[in-house]
Amino acid sequence: MLDKNAIGRASPPFLNEVEKGLIRRFAESLGDYNPIYYDEEYARASGYPTVVAPPTFPASFSSAADLRELLGVGIKSLLHAEQSFEYERPIFAGDRIFVSTRVADVLERTGPAGKMDVAIIEDEGRDEEGSLVFRARRTLIVRAAKENP
Amino acid sequence: MPARKLYFETIRVGDELPALAKAPIDRVQLARYAGASGDFNPIHVDEVYAKSVGMPSVYAPGMLVMGMLGQLISDWARGGQLRRYHVRFIKMVWPGDTIVCKGRVSDRHGEGGRYFVEVEIWAENQKGELVMKGQSTIQLFYSLEDENRQRAGQSPIVIEVPRESILSASSSSEEADEDDQATASGSKKTPREKPAAKMASAPRKARK
Repeated sequence: MLDKNAIGRASPPFLNEVEKGLIRRFAESLGDYNPIYYDEEYARASGYPTVVAPPTFPASFSSAADLRELLGVGIKSLLHAEQSFEYERPIFAGDRIFVSTRVADVLERTGPAGKMDVAIIEDEGRDEEGSLVFRARRTLIVRAAKENP
Repeated sequence: MPARKLYFETIRVGDELPALAKAPIDRVQLARYAGASGDFNPIHVDEVYAKSVGMPSVYAPGMLVMGMLGQLISDWARGGQLRRYHVRFIKMVWPGDTIVCKGRVSDRHGEGGRYFVEVEIWAENQKGELVMKGQSTIQLFYSLEDENRQRAGQSPIVIEVPRESILSASSSSEEADEDDQATASGSKKTPREKPAAKMASAPRKARK
């Protein structure tokens, strides 16, 4: 069982500068050639201020969080079981987004292979004015490293 | 010229999103995604490592497939704004797999001049097996006229559109869906997403 005291542990905001080139490479890696991710003029003609980031782009953001530290255990393996995003607005090239990560919950669930430890990790992205841009929630099945006797 | 936009007034519950067939996933794509996302977990890029921990080969990160399903939504909902996007990862995706993304409108509603459609989305591999499923909420303008008014700084068109869920009629006895059923008569709306409670239940089959 994971340590319940981990709940609420958080990392300080970490600045991510959204670069046009990374948006392009991210979209290319998905095989997604929608011009709103590549072409500024096209994006503007589509009603956006500039090039837009794809919906799962926050997956590329860095955070100051170290999951081992936040959860307080050594980690043998992590299995990503669920992911959700809530968006206040689209993310655009040139945005400066501060990402912080917190442990929203740790719990035990019974699955087909018996009991498993689950951690729910929440990322929050805010702009320079402090306005919320997105929230992301990861559900992870955690296998803690066995401690040496 | 930008593509045509999608407006709320033209959408009906049960509408299918045009299926999106992606190119087969290869190890180069896994490397590209690792580079773009910054996730260099060796299980997705290092064949030697993957085999050393008992895997037949490297496999695709779930987030890559979630990105593909995101393309399905964005391609369909041009001019809309994604509000919520949730998936459950169900089956591993391997190099050589071909992902097909599918979706269907499960609900539509509008209140106070804001209009939303809910879509169920899922991804299948080349054997037709379900690898991922989820839901998304997209906000749209009611119509071209509504968009023009709002872009001109005028008030939106306001039409009250109650939820019109088909989930209750067509899905299995999962908890969240029963809640929907209970509230389909139009009282309080229940968020469908219950990540904390849903995971232990068996994955449902995508409906054909």
